[in-house]
Amino acid sequence: MTKGDKVLIVVVVILTLLSLGFIKRQAFSNENKFVSIQVNGKEIKKVIFDKKIIGKKIPIQSKYGFNLIEIDDEKVRVIEADCPDKIDVKQGYISKIGETIICLPNRMVVEIKGVKKGDAIDIMNH
Amino acid sequence: MKRLNKSIFLSILVSIGLALSILESSIPLPITIPGARLGLSNMVVLITLIMFGFREGLVVSSLKSIVLMLITGSISSFIYSFSGAIISCIGMYVVYEYFSRVFSLIGVSIFGALFHNFAQVTIASFMMNNMRIYTYLPFLMITSIFTGYFVGLSSTFIIKNLKKVLIFY
Repeated sequence: MTKGDKVLIVVVVILTLLSLGFIKRQAFSNENKFVSIQVNGKEIKKVIFDKKIIGKKIPIQSKYGFNLIEIDDEKVRVIEADCPDKIDVKQGYISKIGETIICLPNRMVVEIKGVKKGDAIDIMNH
Repeated sequence: MKRLNKSIFLSILVSIGLALSILESSIPLPITIPGARLGLSNMVVLITLIMFGFREGLVVSSLKSIVLMLITGSISSFIYSFSGAIISCIGMYVVYEYFSRVFSLIGVSIFGALFHNFAQVTIASFMMNNMRIYTYLPFLMITSIFTGYFVGLSSTFIIKNLKKVLIFY
């Protein structure tokens, strides 16, 4: 193990920590959030968190495979999948903006997105 | 005769790499990050690169991922593993050829693992049209330090012994 190896390891660790910090800061930057479900890059469903729909299950059937998604209180998870490794099921709940559950074999992405303030019109008065 | 010896040795290396990839898929990892693997078969590519050269390393790594697709039968994972194998092979060769004074084999194999992960994440984000997949890259980079370290360490010992056997090449 030469000096260059040690420098390389330290540089990679620092880069990782910096990028993790950057991702985390971006994740906390906005407030209102919704679930976006995408298959093969196209958004097929949008769900806004609400107390009324806690426990709602959304089946996603595409030509790539089947996933069952459960919406909970401000968090979401995949509870069933027909892909071989079930990494998306093992990942559990996601709740922060920017977090994703990805099922590569079924080309399915569950992502929590944020609505930026001032992005849309809130109230209109005449 | 020399040619025949070489091609037999390369095909043995390919089959060892295949056996290692199948073996490592049955070893459970404590963390569930998509794409995080032990990368034991990277050892074979590294050894081929150093004992034989760039062309042979490229042949072994691409043959390995093509035959692995025929065994496991999953084409989507073939696209990821093939692009990762080619790019990590090129990266390791460049680092070994031009920076071998700075980095030992451990550094070379860490670079190989980093290139492999970067290629896979890039291909995944192209396939799914989502740049958010790059948020997995920091986790993969941390795992590639550990796997790259052990692959480089074990390759150092293997190459030390192989050099005694392969005098006639």
